This record gives sequence, structure tokens and C-alpha cells, in this order.
Amino acid sequence: MDAGLLEQMLIGALLALSVYLPLRCGQLSLATPGFFAIGGTVAALLSTRIPSFAGTGATSPLPALLLEMTLGGLLAALLALAIGGTVLRLRGIYLAIATIALVEILRVITLNLSFTGGALGIFGIPQPFATASGYAGFTLVLLALVCWLCARLEQLRLGRAMAAIRDDELAAACVGIDTAQVKLQAFVLSALLAGLTGVLAAHFLNSWNAKVGSFDASITTLAFVVFGGSRTWLGPVIGGLVLTALPELLRPVGDLRLIVFGLVILLGPVLFPQGLITPQRLQGLGPWVAGLGQQLRGRVPGPWRR
Amino acid sequence: MAAGPRLQSCAATSSKAGIRLGRRHRAALGLALLGSALSLGGCGGPDPAQQAVNLSQGVPLGAVLAMSGNANVYGQDQKTGLNLALAELNGKGGINGKPLALQIEDSGSDEPGANAAFTLQINRGVLALIGPTLSQQAFSADPIAQRRGVPVVAPSNTATGIPEIGHFISRVSAQSSVIAPLSIARALQLHPQIRRAAVFYAQDDAYSSAETTIFQQALTAKGLKPVTVQRTQLNDQDFQTQISAALQQKPDLVVLSLQAVDGGNMVRQLRELGYKGAIVVGNGMNTPNIYPICQKYCDGILIAQAYSPELRTPANIALLRRFKASQGGAIPPQLTAQAWTALQVLAEALQRLDRRQPLQQTNLAEARKALMAELLSGTYQTPLGEIRFTPEGEVIQNDFFVAQVRMDPSGKSGRFALLP
Repeated sequence: MDAGLLEQMLIGALLALSVYLPLRCGQLSLATPGFFAIGGTVAALLSTRIPSFAGTGATSPLPALLLEMTLGGLLAALLALAIGGTVLRLRGIYLAIATIALVEILRVITLNLSFTGGALGIFGIPQPFATASGYAGFTLVLLALVCWLCARLEQLRLGRAMAAIRDDELAAACVGIDTAQVKLQAFVLSALLAGLTGVLAAHFLNSWNAKVGSFDASITTLAFVVFGGSRTWLGPVIGGLVLTALPELLRPVGDLRLIVFGLVILLGPVLFPQGLITPQRLQGLGPWVAGLGQQLRGRVPGPWRR
Repeated sequence: MAAGPRLQSCAATSSKAGIRLGRRHRAALGLALLGSALSLGGCGGPDPAQQAVNLSQGVPLGAVLAMSGNANVYGQDQKTGLNLALAELNGKGGINGKPLALQIEDSGSDEPGANAAFTLQINRGVLALIGPTLSQQAFSADPIAQRRGVPVVAPSNTATGIPEIGHFISRVSAQSSVIAPLSIARALQLHPQIRRAAVFYAQDDAYSSAETTIFQQALTAKGLKPVTVQRTQLNDQDFQTQISAALQQKPDLVVLSLQAVDGGNMVRQLRELGYKGAIVVGNGMNTPNIYPICQKYCDGILIAQAYSPELRTPANIALLRRFKASQGGAIPPQLTAQAWTALQVLAEALQRLDRRQPLQQTNLAEARKALMAELLSGTYQTPLGEIRFTPEGEVIQNDFFVAQVRMDPSGKSGRFALLP
């Protein structure tokens, strides 16, 4: 398999984790593509407009990429912080609708601002890495770091509080968890992650336009989590990797590939309502994997503990 | 899609267990990631670019077309053109006796799809690429080919700035700034009384918003500053709001920069809501696939053409003969002729290159580089007429036309009738 596809898969996995974070405390937010678009726009603007970010035009320096990631991630996180307090008062499907609206608002703003290039977008974005393998290596490190943090989250007070809110928000509030604060933190972390991913994606895709942050993208990223499973961090990662790769891996099927892809998306939740990866299923896979499953089971409360 | 279900219990692990598990967890994580990296990222073999051109299946060329997504109406026309040209060229002996092997891949209608298909084709060791269908895809995928030194011939990218992406990028499709003003001029010639022009475009589509700028400049240059500019969205189906707003301005010319599906719907709804004046449309509707959408209402719309089916050159006669044999009596659309042209110019450049420097003795990277130089240096007798390239890879084409859509009385089928 090609490193370019691997990079797209890793970006998919990172976006899936960004949807997973609010879902961990029971908040169905579909705002991920909006924050993703913000990160990408920041990267595209900085690296095409500012000479020190642009490098030679073809290649841009790595420190510039890191700075873009900081700025893109922070801007997304700040926006999440600003609107989160209001938006997170909504629950369930209402929150989903509000976050879809956010994505649409950001998309229409991008289309109508002259400096974001309208529908044509920004192109000729310089490359921090000479090859797709460079991107894939860098993104793999980022993904590993994020996965590690998500795993660590299980042990932290914040992670426990998030799980408690998902289980029963009222009960969580009664034992003294500041539910509004915890939900906001999860939302901001999700935005930060999506913003960082956007910066990488903008460079990798060479061009950036308003289409990346669309309602379709919201549904795709949600599908990653639904398909992979939202019980452990591993579920979204696997969902993001598999669903991004599948249309490409199915190329030998020819014209039928999108039909097969649709069938997979359809059959996934039908056959595995909890998602592909559940701690219980991990346990059934063998002694070593069972170790991982047991740990997850020990940490993440769920019906499989019965 | 429901948020996490309510669960009964909470995690309660001792801190001691937490530390022990933490270490194991890290190991598990590392292994999982390593496993996925190995299984998914394992690249196969050495770089094919440093090896000899693989001619075992024929002379390898690749095409990347939008066969799915909203641009698939264009991809279908292009696929027809490529397959007909392939049969014609291989029937005449291919590349000095070696057959051409053309692999067509679907890019979808988005950028990641085009990037993936480009990368796939380049890794297969193709000598050159034809595609992608949309300019927006080209801005994303062409830099990949440029970085890896693979010649690209774009059969349908009309946006400004495509050949400027790099010296490996060229196109046989004249840019819209050249073609679009022609249809405006022609409309004014046919209807000299036109005073009030209304403009429509899809504001979230790169092609539409780029072309409308050119249309609006052309209108202003003719002293017809648009009385209204209405914005739509690419995926819109219903345009009543925009049409009602525009009709209040009593336009006698409507200029559309829309793609085939939304454009076809727009034409239909304009006529249904009572608009009787002239309609000029852009290159996005330059396909017979609009007939089923606007049906009898397609009749009379004006559209500039980079291709004339009436051209009596050997290449065009061959295209007409093969198109008639495979598709029935219809006239080939511009996209089909341009796709044919893209493959023809590559084949002729390859024939010249192979005579000078036999392909089997050249390594792939050098062959690609030499092919690009050869491509730009030639003059080609194509279905589009005689074409050449500028040193940047921009097409130089002599003849352009304006066609008017003529629908059959049944409203099911029609043709692009060239205006004299």
C-alpha cells in the first residue's frame, strides 16, 4: 500500500478521535469538519501568504508546520471555547443539529471571504515533507501521541468524569462533577485535535477549499466512530483507518466499489451495533489481545461488565 | 446515532493497578500501532521510477476520471473518448508496434479521490497521466505528478493557472477565459436588442465561480453590466427564489455558469417560470447528458465549443466513425473529443520519442522527462483541429465555435448545432 493512502487513513483516524472525545461524555458533536477546516485554512493562508512560512515555495520548513499546528489548533480550540458554553446546553440530537449549523456557517463564511479564495480556495500550498512517507511518519507519531493521551484519559480525573457523565449526567452532577466544565473541556480538546489535523491535511492535499468542511464530511467522520465503535479509543481509530482505506482497497472490484463500500457501511452497524471494536470482542480474539481488552474493560464502564 | 447509552456502573481501579496497567497499556498501544503501520503501510519493492519502463502489458499510460460523484456526467463522456482513441491508435500499430495499455481509474468528484488515483497510477509505473476531470481536483492532484516527474495532459481543466502548476502539467482544453466570451458575443449578434443580462452561478463550485468572473467581464466589456447576479449552491435542486428575484429585473439574456445537473434544472425552471429570452451557458453544460435533465427546455441555449463535429480532418473523421459505430448515430460531445485528443497527443509524442530513444532501453524517470519535452515540442492534427503547446503546457488552438442546442420534438434527444 502507498504512503499517500496511509496518510489519508491516519487523518481519518485523527478526525474519528476528534468525534470520539465529546462522545466519550455522551455529547454527539458533528462540528469536527468545521474545526478541521479552520486548521487547514490557517495553514493554507500562513504558508502561501507569509514568506517565512512558505520557505522556498515548494518546500516549507518543519518549524513553520509546527507553528501552524499550534496556531490552527489554538484558533479552533478558542472558537470551541467561545461557543461551547452555549452550544453544550443542548443535548443529543439538538446538539448534533447545532454543530451541523456551525459547520455550515463556517463553510459559508469561507466561501464569501475574499482572502480564503471563495469556492476555488487556496492552492499551491508548500510541502513540509518531500514524500508522502514523511507525512505518514509524522502523522503516525501524532496519532500515537493522541491515542496514548486518550488511553491515559481513562485514568485521569477528567476521563473518569467524562465516563460518569456519559453513564448518567444527573448522577455525575450529584457527586460533585462540574458537568458543564467537563463537557466543555471535551469539546475544546476535540476542536484542538481537528484543528491540528486540518493543518496537516491542507499541506498534504496541496489545495484547500470550503468543500472540506461540509455536512457530508460531518457524516463521514461520524460513520468512522459508529463503524469502529465508541467504547474505546481503538474503535474510532480502526473505523477511521478502515473506512478511509476501503474505497481505495476496493478498486479491483471496478464500478461496483462504491456499492460494496455502501454495503459495508450499512452492514457494519447492523451486524455490530456497538461498533467493530468493543472490549468484549477484543477479549475473544486471543490471550494477548485479551490483555488489552481486559484493561479497557477495567477502565471503561459498560454493559459488557455484566 | 444516539449518544452514549446510560450505563449502570463506574470504573473503579486502584491507583496501583492503574500504574501496572499503564505500562502494559503502552505496550499494547505500541504494538497495535506498529501492527497497523506494518500491515497497512508496508510499501512494495523498490522505486519503479529508477527501473526500465515496464512494457510487458504494452506502453503504460494512466487516466484518472470522475466516474462517480456529481462530475460523473463528464467522466462518462471522457471515458468514451479515451476508449475510442485507444482502439484507433492500437489499430494503427500503437507505439511503433507496441500496443498502448491505458488504465482508467475513478477519482470520484473530490480532491482526496483524485490524489489517491494519481498516486496509484504513478506507482503502477505509467509514463504519463490523463486527467483529472475537474480543475479543483487538478489543483490538488497535479502537484503530486509534478513532484514525481510524471507528465499530465488535462483533457477538461479550464480554470486559469493549471499549466502553471509545474512544467510536467499541460492541457488540451482551452481555458474558459478564451472560450466563454465567444458565446456572449454570438448571443448579442443573434439578438442585438439585448439590454439586460442576469447572471447565475454556483458559489460553492470552483468551476462556476471562476467562469462567471469571465462571463461578467465579457458582459461588462460589451456594455451590459449584469442587472442581477444570483448565487446558487452546487447541490441545489430548486431555484425558484433566485429565478423570481432575477425575473423581477426583466432580463433579456441569462448567463449560467453551472454544472450539468444543476444547470439543466436551472434551464428547465427558468422556462417553466416564464423566461422567454436568450440563455447562454458555460462549459459545465457542454455535454449531451443535460438532455434528460432539461429535456425540451434545453432547446435554443447557446454554448461556446472548442470542438466542431463538422471538421473534416482525418483524426475527426476517425473519431466520428468510431463514435457512430459504438454509440449509435449521435455526435460526439466536446469532452469526448478532448479526451481523444489527450490520448492522441501522448501517443504521437511517444512514437517520436521511441524512434529516437527506444523505450525499453530507457529508465522510467528519464522516459517521463523526455516524453514531456517531446509532447510540448510537437504539432498535432487532432479532432480539435491543429493544436500546439506553449512552453508552459498551455494549449494553442486555432478554431472555436458557438453551438445552439436543438432538441427533437420528443424532447428526449437533441444535438449541439454549430452556428455558422
